[in-house]
Amino acid sequence: MPSSISHSDAHRAEVRGLREGALPPGLRQTASNRPGQAQPVPTRDIPAQPWVKIGISVLCAVTLLTSAWEWNARTNLGLHAGDIDDSAQAWAEARRAADSAPVAIVGDSRILFDTDQARFQAMTGVRPVQVSFVGTNSRTLLEHFANDPKFHGLLIVGMADLIYFGPRGIGVGAPAVHNYVKNGKPSQLTGLWIDRWLQNYVAFMDSDYRLSKMVPKLDHGWRKGVDSPYEDVWKISETFPGRQYFMWDQIEAPGYLQAHARHAWNGFKAPPIPRSIADKVIVRSAEAVRRIRARGGDVIFVRPPSAPQLRVNEDREIPRALGWDRLLAAIPAKGIHADDLPQAQNLVIPEWSHLSRKCATVFTDAYVRRLVQLTNRLKLRADAPPPLSRADCVPQRIASL
Amino acid sequence: MIFNSLTFLVFFGLVMALHYAPFFSWHQKKINLMIASYLFYAAWNPPFVILLWISTVVDWWAAQWMVRAKTERTRKLWMLTSVVVNLGMLGYFKYGGFLLSNFVTIAGALGVVYHPPGWDIVLPVGISFYTFATLSYTLDVYLRRSKPAGSFLNYALFVTFFPHLVAGPIMRPTELVPQFDEPRQAKPNQIFFGLALLTLGLFQKVVLADGFLAPVVEAVYDAHGQLPGMLDSWVATLAFAGQIFCDFAGYSTSAIGVALCLGFAMPDNFRFPYGAVGFSDFWRRWHITLSSWLRDYLYIPLGGNRHGRARTYAALMGTMLLGGLWHGANWTFVVWGGLHGLYLSVERWLKARFNGFTPGRIAILGLAVLTFLLVNVTWVFFRAKTFAGAGVVLKGMAGMQVKPEALIPFGPMIIAMIIVSAIFGTHLTMRNTTLEAVIERTPAVALAGIWTLLLFAVIIEQGQGSAFIYFAF
Repeated sequence: MPSSISHSDAHRAEVRGLREGALPPGLRQTASNRPGQAQPVPTRDIPAQPWVKIGISVLCAVTLLTSAWEWNARTNLGLHAGDIDDSAQAWAEARRAADSAPVAIVGDSRILFDTDQARFQAMTGVRPVQVSFVGTNSRTLLEHFANDPKFHGLLIVGMADLIYFGPRGIGVGAPAVHNYVKNGKPSQLTGLWIDRWLQNYVAFMDSDYRLSKMVPKLDHGWRKGVDSPYEDVWKISETFPGRQYFMWDQIEAPGYLQAHARHAWNGFKAPPIPRSIADKVIVRSAEAVRRIRARGGDVIFVRPPSAPQLRVNEDREIPRALGWDRLLAAIPAKGIHADDLPQAQNLVIPEWSHLSRKCATVFTDAYVRRLVQLTNRLKLRADAPPPLSRADCVPQRIASL
Repeated sequence: MIFNSLTFLVFFGLVMALHYAPFFSWHQKKINLMIASYLFYAAWNPPFVILLWISTVVDWWAAQWMVRAKTERTRKLWMLTSVVVNLGMLGYFKYGGFLLSNFVTIAGALGVVYHPPGWDIVLPVGISFYTFATLSYTLDVYLRRSKPAGSFLNYALFVTFFPHLVAGPIMRPTELVPQFDEPRQAKPNQIFFGLALLTLGLFQKVVLADGFLAPVVEAVYDAHGQLPGMLDSWVATLAFAGQIFCDFAGYSTSAIGVALCLGFAMPDNFRFPYGAVGFSDFWRRWHITLSSWLRDYLYIPLGGNRHGRARTYAALMGTMLLGGLWHGANWTFVVWGGLHGLYLSVERWLKARFNGFTPGRIAILGLAVLTFLLVNVTWVFFRAKTFAGAGVVLKGMAGMQVKPEALIPFGPMIIAMIIVSAIFGTHLTMRNTTLEAVIERTPAVALAGIWTLLLFAVIIEQGQGSAFIYFAF
């Protein structure tokens, strides 16, 4: 048997539990071979190989491969360092911060993409805590805050009507919301910090471009009757500190990824929402708002825009008069609908559901100017930047059409 | 803290630096390791460190007083103290809610309506593992299999030593305490082999279990209200067989690698279990440290095979039912254990009935496939959260679903089946050898290439820091 050490050394090493050179299989005993007795120090045999040389060459090869992968991520995939990703832990961190925040935002991905927190802060002096979650029903998040006695601030509830008034439950964010108390363990927090720090320098670290996410995407619907990974929503956003989402520039430019993103929405096609279900949603919303107000908080609803290609279906499934208007009247509550903001008309919505990065700033500017008129909890700063308009975000060639 | 996290990477780097720092004495290094182990545990839920302390102190003193006891009755009393304290904590945290809900059900069946307050107790991570580890200390001393540890520091470090603390391998004090007696430093080749094992474990967990197999399993087992057909049910169950192996064996391999880097030897916990021929063979290969623990401290004390056939079968069933319950406070786990007990009993009966039968190569292959398939049937109860859920999948596996639905996309299905076939094939091929022996025969260039690919796959898979399945046990 090959061994790099002498017989006496080998014997001593066996007593110590470590042994140079692989043991013949029959001699590798485990506790299953020794019933009813005290188990001795186990033997770990080290295969006779030039491990140091192997290890160093692996280190070099992996460094090379990883560098090439990083280069590929930046040049071919269009990923950027500084896109720090979102996670259940990051949501839990924001949710905890929202307890004592003067302004928090809940909702689905639309208000998440379409609110520019820096613009909000520049205009009001207050940076809202972003607690929205992609694919998640904002009504359930509203109720989450209603059940939290610690929250006394202003809650902005962003909504996509179809999700808000629909019969679906909480949606994609369910695990994050249900486990948020547990998602604050010391190891998770340190993991979050290290992860964010690394992502400031590394582009390939992106949850949408993990190996196990990329490979299944090759399946373009090979099996009938089941949605393939091709039907999923792929990466459409970038995330920055404070859970600031913006549209990914690869989606803003026409091409395969933009076309896929539009395809994934499937036109927001769904059966019309029965009035009885919408009524129940309104009653539950009213109760949640009442509870927040009872302890000194307040709630204002915001409906961000969607492109005509989706809006036509959304209106068919839950018309504004049946959903939005009745909700505000029944609670009663104040709300800002994108349709009612002159500056927010005909903005750029690349994949039909979320605003482009620049237009998110324009929409934020528009709705915050309306917001300060609806609540005395926020004031427009004297040195607030001047109003923005469609021209500030719509490319000239499109604006002139 | 979990091995597949960036936090662990930093933690491990610091531990290695302290362990190999020339200016610390061996005594100080052991204290460093113990503090690091407590930090490792507290990083999950700091208050539960108190439970570790209780377990450590009670068992240390119980063993000390057992040795000093003048009468057999006193010895027994101290052994029982240790058992009651350890199993009491385990029972309260792990089985309290389960017992309460069963009590409510039974009371309801007897016409007594009882509404207890909610049992909202968080399960301390790894409590089942360290409870069994510390219990083996007092039980070995009581059974006079070993002497108490000579130093409290060595004993406390045995309990808390972070590589095995939260998910095994379940170590016996006699396996680890002697290793703390003298200074231990791994040689460079041992460190690099340890790192290779760590990479293999992380690859199994991050890439195979979490990345490619878990989504296929979830598509069927978490498809509420949808009815899987024969293909989907079998694919999901086979994928779970792969997932649970890669998850748990991945943890054990990582733990062995980490310990090796520090110069310590830990026992094998898995030995190509899906290459098993028969169920007694399976349990000599699957979660070896648990099965041998159950054999030594439950099956043998229950009578083992020394008191006639009926008692042997009763001991087998009792051991496996309790082994099932060890995995989780749910009747589905009990049924999982019960099925294995039944398999073992039937196998025992068949061996006695066909005493002279020696299977040929084809028969061995057939029996290995049969064993693997029957083990998969048990995994249904292990994975499904309810009997209704298990029933849906079993009905699907039997092809009895009236209107089955397609639930798994073709691409992920093919990938999962390639992985599971590779695992099964590897286990069959390597059932009579060891990983180390195969590695020794492999050319260094090939080893370097494989290691590079595994590590690169782990890096580009990134992982999401999801906990190992066995953390919940």
